Amino acid sequence: MNALDLHTLKTLRRPLGVLAAVIAIGAILLSYTDGELQSAQRAAAQQQNQLREARIQLNKSGEEKETIVRYLDRYQYLQQLGFVGDEQRINWLDGLRFANRETRLFGVDYQIGAQQPYPYAAELNPGQLTLYQSVMKINLKLLHEGDLMRFLGTLARLGAGLFSVNQCVIERVDAGDNLRNQPNLRAECELAWITLRPPGEKKS
Amino acid sequence: MNWPALPKFNFSFNRPDTGDKLLISVSARQVSAAHWRHGHFAGCDMFTYSDEGLAAFKSYLAEIRKSLPVHMLVDAVEEDYRFEALPHSTGRDRSALVNRKLKQHYRNTPYLSAQLRGRDAGKRRDDRYLFCALTNPELIAEWVQAVIECDLPLAGIYLLPTVSQGLVERLQLAQTNLLLVSSNSSGLRLTFLREQTLRISRLARIDATTAQAIKNYAEEISNTRLYLHALRVMTLDEQLSVLIVDSDDTLAELAEIVARDNPNIECHRLTRAEIVARIGIAAPALDSSADALYLHLLGLQAPDSNLAPANVTFGYRRQKLRRGINAAAGVIAFVMAVMGAYSWYRIYDINLEIKSDSESAARQTAARQIAELQAQYREATRQYPAAPTSGENLRSAVEISQKIGATTRSPETMMTIVSRVLEHSPAIAVKRFGWKYGATNIEPGGKADEPGFAAAAGGARRQSGLIDGEVRPFRGDHRAAIEAINGFASLLAQQPQVAEVKITKLPLNINPASALSGNTTEGGGLAGTAEFKLLLVFKPTL
Repeated sequence: MNALDLHTLKTLRRPLGVLAAVIAIGAILLSYTDGELQSAQRAAAQQQNQLREARIQLNKSGEEKETIVRYLDRYQYLQQLGFVGDEQRINWLDGLRFANRETRLFGVDYQIGAQQPYPYAAELNPGQLTLYQSVMKINLKLLHEGDLMRFLGTLARLGAGLFSVNQCVIERVDAGDNLRNQPNLRAECELAWITLRPPGEKKS
Repeated sequence: MNWPALPKFNFSFNRPDTGDKLLISVSARQVSAAHWRHGHFAGCDMFTYSDEGLAAFKSYLAEIRKSLPVHMLVDAVEEDYRFEALPHSTGRDRSALVNRKLKQHYRNTPYLSAQLRGRDAGKRRDDRYLFCALTNPELIAEWVQAVIECDLPLAGIYLLPTVSQGLVERLQLAQTNLLLVSSNSSGLRLTFLREQTLRISRLARIDATTAQAIKNYAEEISNTRLYLHALRVMTLDEQLSVLIVDSDDTLAELAEIVARDNPNIECHRLTRAEIVARIGIAAPALDSSADALYLHLLGLQAPDSNLAPANVTFGYRRQKLRRGINAAAGVIAFVMAVMGAYSWYRIYDINLEIKSDSESAARQTAARQIAELQAQYREATRQYPAAPTSGENLRSAVEISQKIGATTRSPETMMTIVSRVLEHSPAIAVKRFGWKYGATNIEPGGKADEPGFAAAAGGARRQSGLIDGEVRPFRGDHRAAIEAINGFASLLAQQPQVAEVKITKLPLNINPASALSGNTTEGGGLAGTAEFKLLLVFKPTL
């Protein structure tokens, strides 16, 4: 017999068909079974993780209570400050107005951009918390450069929120006949008002 | 029987074949057929070697199950045996050499065979072959055709003497020179084995019914001894052992004559009772045909010298292939079923652990443990102070606010340093001062970006400043002005907080790649201005 000539294959069509069917059906069933097994193993592994986390959570419950007691007051202060939770833009504007009056400047022009993720959040390792910033650009006139530092210091002390100064430009303006109480300098600054949102709270 | 016997090993791989098969013996006088079932057959059906016998044989085959493999035994005068040594070879070379030799010896028959029978003891270590053939294929042609026409798979065709070797093995005979003598349907069969290996065989057509038959048999035995000597298979000096296979107990006299007439021949007669006892053939089966013993030996173990060409055994090999495929399918199905069952058992076991929450379960399930731990945790949290979020988040929020406070910068430090240096540089007047705290330095334009466009993240943040100034008074002395600016820059660079100072613009562009024009008129106020720009960068730690 020339082993697998056409005639031989024809005569073996039925057993070969049965063999192919057995392999195909077996492969499908095994593949399905393997999928089910992997799914069950994943579910079991997930459950073991939950169990481990539940144990850790229970073991740390005393520690967590201590943490809450230790940090709750300061957290609530940050909420009042407007750092935690929604933005308090009215507080910021009140702060600008009050700082302007306190430092006896000539008024502050401002522009506030849209809220966006804080670009340096990764440096702060926020975990489940989310950090945002709103960039405010202010223009103000000064008698001398020390007024700018007094203005920014006053704004920070007022507790209108938490901000960082990104950029400032101070330039001389022509004071004309050098009259007293006329601005000699013009300053333009960019402030980033930073807010923090706990997990589960959505942006308003 | 007290002849020397071969050591008996019971771990033989050649176990008796118990598979059902049809055994057929063809001789020039008659054809015997026996249905082998479960390791034996009950009796033989006999057919005369004639047209009538062939027709009856066909009718007999028509009743046989189609898948039954057929093994055919031929007892004929037209046979040939050659024991030859060929140069040692392997693989395709061996096949080519043997086929060439077979064609050389047997041109006119398709029924031929060659078996390797070991190596020579000489230096060349040649291969020793037994070549054998049925030289008259016409003898069995019609009977083979009848089998094929009935769609029965023909497994093999063998010469009767090759089956005789099985008798020696069954009886465990160890004689060096052994002559097997038996009276079959076609005459007296004399088969010579040297060291338990078939060397030569001949068939003497002697009518067993005549009174002179026994005497003629004895003469044939003596002649055979001379024949062996003539063929140089053995010398007359060597001891020859003769085993008379007397399946019907009619050759007792022959044994006596041989022993009496040939003192140098060791003769023994294997009686009917011994055959039944030692070979395992049933007495009625043995009595049913003169060839029954050889059919039984063929049923037990087919020899390796199959004469049938490939086209004759096509059906048998196709059947084996089919059975092999079916067996493979069965094995694969079984293995897959076992694997599948094991997997489902594991799935069941895992699901039982995941989902079961029965309190009576032998082991507490993970789901139940989680539920209990969470309940304990909820109970513990009832004693916590009311908090808007988890303790971890409270701590993170406070720490982040502290970090932001620690990383916040103002222009005050840089302004203080610039003011201090200006006190030592009276000729320098600052017109514009820019400051930036970010991952990139302040742009030479110095204008703050529009709100909403944050500085690019990535890299350590640092403070940088841009000073737009001029030299006052300036009366056209560019050399003095540039020296004053360089002095100012040098003083700034000496401050410990400063990492880098770079003058980005001078009052006079002395770059050879640029054009330069101006006026050299002397006099105050007419020489223009000496403006410059200077970039100042703090160390990143500040």
